[in-house]
Amino acid sequence: MTRTVPEGWRKAARFVWIAALVLVALSLVMVVRAPTERVMGPVQKIVYVHVPSAIATMIAFGITFAAGIAFLTTRQWFWDALGAASAEVGLVFATVVMITGPLWARSAWNTWWTWEPRLTTFFILWILYAAYQVIRSSLRGPSKRTISAVLGIVFFVMYPVTVYSVNLWRGSMHPQNVTMQGNMRQVLLTSMLAWVVFYVAVLERRLRLEWARRAAEEERLGVGAPAPRGHVAARGAEARGR
Amino acid sequence: MLSGASLALEPGEVILLAGPNGSGKTTFARILSTLLPPDDGEVTLDDEPVSEHRALTRRRIGFTTHVPLLYRGLTPVENLVFFARLAEVRDGGLRAIDLLTRFGLKDAMHRPVANFSRGMLQRVVLCRALLNDPPILILDEPYAGLDEDGVAAVNTVLREARAAGRSALVIAHGKERAQSVVTRTVHLRDGRIEAA
Amino acid sequence: MILLEVARKDLTLYARDVRFLATLGLFSASLTLILSMAFGPIYQDAPREAAATMWASLFFAGVLGLTRSLDMEREAGGGDALRMSGADPYAIYLGKTLANFLLLAAVFALLLPLTSVFFDVGSLSGLPRVAGVAAIALLGYSAWGTLFAALARGLQARELLLSVLLFPSLIPLWIGAVKLTHALWGEGGTASVGDWVKVMLVMDVLGLGVAAWLYEPVQEAGE
Repeated sequence: MTRTVPEGWRKAARFVWIAALVLVALSLVMVVRAPTERVMGPVQKIVYVHVPSAIATMIAFGITFAAGIAFLTTRQWFWDALGAASAEVGLVFATVVMITGPLWARSAWNTWWTWEPRLTTFFILWILYAAYQVIRSSLRGPSKRTISAVLGIVFFVMYPVTVYSVNLWRGSMHPQNVTMQGNMRQVLLTSMLAWVVFYVAVLERRLRLEWARRAAEEERLGVGAPAPRGHVAARGAEARGR
Repeated sequence: MLSGASLALEPGEVILLAGPNGSGKTTFARILSTLLPPDDGEVTLDDEPVSEHRALTRRRIGFTTHVPLLYRGLTPVENLVFFARLAEVRDGGLRAIDLLTRFGLKDAMHRPVANFSRGMLQRVVLCRALLNDPPILILDEPYAGLDEDGVAAVNTVLREARAAGRSALVIAHGKERAQSVVTRTVHLRDGRIEAA
Repeated sequence: MILLEVARKDLTLYARDVRFLATLGLFSASLTLILSMAFGPIYQDAPREAAATMWASLFFAGVLGLTRSLDMEREAGGGDALRMSGADPYAIYLGKTLANFLLLAAVFALLLPLTSVFFDVGSLSGLPRVAGVAAIALLGYSAWGTLFAALARGLQARELLLSVLLFPSLIPLWIGAVKLTHALWGEGGTASVGDWVKVMLVMDVLGLGVAAWLYEPVQEAGE
């Protein structure tokens, strides 16, 4: 395996980064120029970071989930690398959500924490995927990949039930969706797109790190170099009668 | 650490695998017994890859390690009967008592294993490995910490296996204790297996 | 049946480890005591505080039980012998889940009277329904707990990690258990009893179902 990613990948990555930077810049401009919300003032604009981050997080964890399944079925290192990279990037975005959420809430409702169902569920997810990192980093051997895949699958599977139960617990006392009209919607949609592309760009970078790790590991193990394959054959006689 | 290690085990053979600490003997034993999948290469039993019928393959292998694979809180009988039922051995209870008696554990049969000496533990462990009358034995460091009687018990098992046409792989540091029963000795050096 | 054999083996080991059982009982009782005192001496809303106390204690006790079951397997060579027996991994999983469930049920049987007495809640006639809620909650706890415990078996600080994994992910079970127990002990009902039962049952089925697929790779995951 080559030390660094193939040329085709790097070309695509350059394109993604340029797209990401352009889109993020564009969305920033739009955010700055967006109409200021009457009641909340400029702080409301945090939502343009908060919501897209949340979407990026869910995409990230969804990819970890799919990669986990792919790994368990194919056992190819790439799926484990993708899952782990996505989980880590997802955690970063989740942190952004957890910081911007209370900031927005303070401004809108004058409290830091309101047990808003989605934010609550996000906190739960944050803890779980932080635990994922802790567990993954403390495993060394071949079990690391399997266990990471299993965690990635299990956490995502639990998500819908958790959301439902938090909603049930909360009762529906808070407006679930922030409705926006016209201009604001456009800004939000552009921000969402920008952040998702940004997520892909960051994921790509993180994946490169996994690739390099894998290359180093293979070098150390001497895999890929023409190494003799072991072959163990055993033949056993069945005891007949006693 | 293993690289191109190859071995063929035929009926009636008792092979001693020697080698320095850390050379990968235990890893090799675990790969052979299907507990550890190899990164590359293959293990076959009677010309069929072991990955195909893993459960069946495992039941044809009697495996021991230096950690006694027994539940400390159970008696020898309870341990053996439990494993016999799990491996779907017919008349597991009878077989358990039979084996335990043969190994001189008749009186200790109903005491929890927790208080057994190393030698007694090893004998129970051997009984467990022999429960389903496996055609293949893989014993990892079976002599560790044993006194003369214990060593004799292990060697009896190996001798009987040889006579019955079964095969055994014994992993040990040095050759002395196994010398009398071994048919062939190989070394694990630099990740490969070489004749002694 | 392999399932029953494994369950019986685990339960026998639990039963013979008197020190462990005593510690488990004392731990849960102490936790119940602390929380009862923290809420008391005059209880604002006894059914609510009692439910929270009992389930919090049960939850922590469960982590101890699961860790103990892990340690028992580790002493016996980390599950190598189980794997070498060629027994169906899912049957092994179900057996362990059953044993853990019964252990937790025993702790529940200890904490229920204790909590009822401290907070002066509950009644004999209401017992079957409270037990029913506990059965659903503890089944889910055992199902997921056994899977997570197997997963965490090679890790250091197992109790901590197990807690970190179990507490957030089983929130639907916990809130459901507390709310339903509260409703049963208190006067008012929560309007959404049916919904909570549904949520908890979904968690139970999910746990047992997901493990059907994932337990074997976890068991084979090696060191």
